Amino acid sequence: MSSEDFLQLTYQEQIELLTAEGLYIGKRGRQPKVSLLFQLDSFYVEILYEKYRLRIASIRCSTSTSILDPYFELMDVPLVVYEFRIS
Amino acid sequence: MPNLSEKELLVVYADDDPDDIELVTEAFERYANNLTLKTFSNGLTILSFLKNLSIADNLPCLIILDINMPAMNGKECLKQIRQIDQYKDVPVVLFTASVSDRDKEFAKLYQAGFITKPLSSVQMDVIAAGFIEHCNSEIQKLIIR
Repeated sequence: MSSEDFLQLTYQEQIELLTAEGLYIGKRGRQPKVSLLFQLDSFYVEILYEKYRLRIASIRCSTSTSILDPYFELMDVPLVVYEFRIS
Repeated sequence: MPNLSEKELLVVYADDDPDDIELVTEAFERYANNLTLKTFSNGLTILSFLKNLSIADNLPCLIILDINMPAMNGKECLKQIRQIDQYKDVPVVLFTASVSDRDKEFAKLYQAGFITKPLSSVQMDVIAAGFIEHCNSEIQKLIIR
């Protein structure tokens, strides 16, 4: 699926697809305005919440890796490396 | 020892994300009146709590583990929980942010359930019920909604 196809879906369909197939990348922001980033096929999907996990403000897609930058800044790199090694 | 119907129903949950802990706590509060949710911030602290309980204590009827946690992740914690005799048959659910076939297989290998963290209010509404479905039927009958 392309990001254009994804954006044609309803919010509910997008959420169901992300739940079933999205690869979670990270979380940023503070309650209640939190964003979650997922990878789906060859693009990224960011959910911006008005209220964390309860009320969605918007969903945006990007094929650019620059969308990852703010999430990478928040990542606990030693933990990620450790998890990768033991998995 | 109190019989099953007199016992407080205890669910234990480990997650390093305080926002997720808050949401799940609220979901359980809405779902049942006689169920206590005790929370922990990583696998080590929940494991230490579980190890210190004896069979005479009120053992949890359900254990919920986030997968990605510092100190000890949910999978390692599950592995160690299953090595303790009194938790061999206690229902455990791995609660995770994204679906991975590898994690699903791992859960199956250690007789655990697998639930993806909700992304919307519709999914959030059914999350407590989804957890409780993993409890044995005797426990499910005791839950007062």
